[in-house]
Amino acid sequence: MAGRTGQSEVSNEQTRSADDRRVTESAIATTELQLTYSDGTNAVNGVSLDVPEGEFFGFLGPNGAGKTTTIKVLATLLKPTGGSVRVNGFDVTDDPRSVRSSIGYMAQEVSVDEELTARENIRFACEAYGVSSGERTERIDELLDLVDLADVGDKKAEEFSGGMKKRLDAATALVHDPPLVFLDEPTTGLDPKARNRLWEYFERINEDGTTIFLTTQYLEEADQLCDRLAVILDGAIVEEGSPAELKRRVGGEILDVNLANAESERAATIAREFDAFDEGATVETTEEGISVTAEDAREHGTDLLVALRDADITVTGFNVRAPSLDDVFLAITGEHVEDLEDAAHLENGDRQ
Amino acid sequence: MSSPTASEQSSSQPPQSGNSFLGDVWVNFKRWNLKAVRNPFVLVVSLAQPIIFLLLFTEVFGQIAGGAINQGGAGISYETFLVPAIAIQVSLAAAITSGIGLVNDIENGMFEKVLVTPMNRTAVFVGKTAAEVMRILVQVSIILGLGVVLGAEISTGLVGAVGIAFVGVLFSLWFIALSNTLAVLTRDQESTIIAANLLQFPLLFLSSAFLPLEALPEWIQTFARFNPVTYGVDAARALMLDRDVMTVLEVTQFEGLWNTLVPAVVVLVALALVFGGVAVFMLTRATGSDVQ
Repeated sequence: MAGRTGQSEVSNEQTRSADDRRVTESAIATTELQLTYSDGTNAVNGVSLDVPEGEFFGFLGPNGAGKTTTIKVLATLLKPTGGSVRVNGFDVTDDPRSVRSSIGYMAQEVSVDEELTARENIRFACEAYGVSSGERTERIDELLDLVDLADVGDKKAEEFSGGMKKRLDAATALVHDPPLVFLDEPTTGLDPKARNRLWEYFERINEDGTTIFLTTQYLEEADQLCDRLAVILDGAIVEEGSPAELKRRVGGEILDVNLANAESERAATIAREFDAFDEGATVETTEEGISVTAEDAREHGTDLLVALRDADITVTGFNVRAPSLDDVFLAITGEHVEDLEDAAHLENGDRQ
Repeated sequence: MSSPTASEQSSSQPPQSGNSFLGDVWVNFKRWNLKAVRNPFVLVVSLAQPIIFLLLFTEVFGQIAGGAINQGGAGISYETFLVPAIAIQVSLAAAITSGIGLVNDIENGMFEKVLVTPMNRTAVFVGKTAAEVMRILVQVSIILGLGVVLGAEISTGLVGAVGIAFVGVLFSLWFIALSNTLAVLTRDQESTIIAANLLQFPLLFLSSAFLPLEALPEWIQTFARFNPVTYGVDAARALMLDRDVMTVLEVTQFEGLWNTLVPAVVVLVALALVFGGVAVFMLTRATGSDVQ
């Protein structure tokens, strides 16, 4: 069914490691991972990753870039059409059951059985992963505590809010204490409070030694949680590094200034000539006014506002913010995320 | 929570899933039974329609039908004639919910969640089907009990009643397979329900279920010959009446009711194998991680 592209490059890789089931210390090691759907869509195109044990790894990209497809290959839900993929040392194609036993997976959409109670959902997961009956009750209580659902443990999941279901979903992915957990956009669609709460749980299990592979559309989330990031676009990795390195790529924080009249050009000229910002500061005109990107935008932003007032330019609003994913993509590719998403959807037929 | 250490992870033993094949079957059997108990509404409603049929048909058609069913035979009541058909109707209705359960799982993500566990995938479906089969046994028993209360007679006694329940299960297999195939094809709850229900009534009415085939138009008799319901109903009815009731196939090598039971069981087993094969193929394709 699948067009097996890239098979020939892999064969060397596979024979080299054929007689040893666990060859690496990496939690995840992929070489030239390819996934081509049967309709010819090239969703993932040569992704090579090496995630060491214990790392909190972030996989960042706009919709349709190939994040979910990659995570599904790593979790054995899709077979790679090319390249080699090892998870916890096991080959995903040759030994999927060993991979499944050693990972936790939280899908993008909430996956809980709403007819069952929270406790029953976790119990089912315990049984499915073969947690011994002696440990089960204790494990269930421990996980209900971890995700703050102990007091509603005997309520049916259908009564839960979106955030509670997500937390329950997270708990069921952790029943067997997996050394590696995949989280596919775990906080998409959650309110900030629920999001922060989930972040805490993820940090906690990572501190306990669990490797985490997280996909997200939010730079803020990656920044908060991840040790290292890879940015994927059109099925290929375009940037890799720590969150700080990625932000440096953008060139600091961003000061947006809204102006009353159509004086963007004049304001931009003043900002460019303004020497209070660090070297490398950039100024752009926007629909509302101007936007300044600089390492020290926060410290010296007020100076610029004063300079604008001195030049009789009326400032109606301003805001200093951390760079968003859009800013990162703008810096890396020169294009906005929406344009990239549109292009990806056209190319992939809306498949992620 | 115990933390996985580097030494644990670099050991050369693959982690064990901990469950045997039967263990995996049991885990899934329990889950689907629990869901059934949690949702008594479905249980009641899927029984209600056949019970309503049983009550209405015997009241409305009982007098008229009496003549048709007793042509050239010993006098039996319409209740006795109808109960085996209602037992098959219950099996049919219960089989529809099998596909609905699967589609629900696909829609709420549990399907994928189960696929990433180390459970044996065949065991997952065996466990689910076993739970459905058990439900059919219970529901058919309820119908038989109710039938007896209403005045139906099971000529073969308790052994025959157990036999009818097993015929119900055997009959349900092809439709369980079909509803699961529909579920995988549509991946949509409403489409599955509509498609399965659309089939239910023509299948029931264009068979030997409610009246003897001789009393029905020629074209229905022809259709009934190719309708699995006819074979399920005839098998159940042969057990009910303790005599050969099959008219679509003339088998005479055996004794009495076996002239119906043997060919009917052969046909139902064949149907189960064919439809089961298709369902297994569709499910393997859906669960196999091959790119679709």
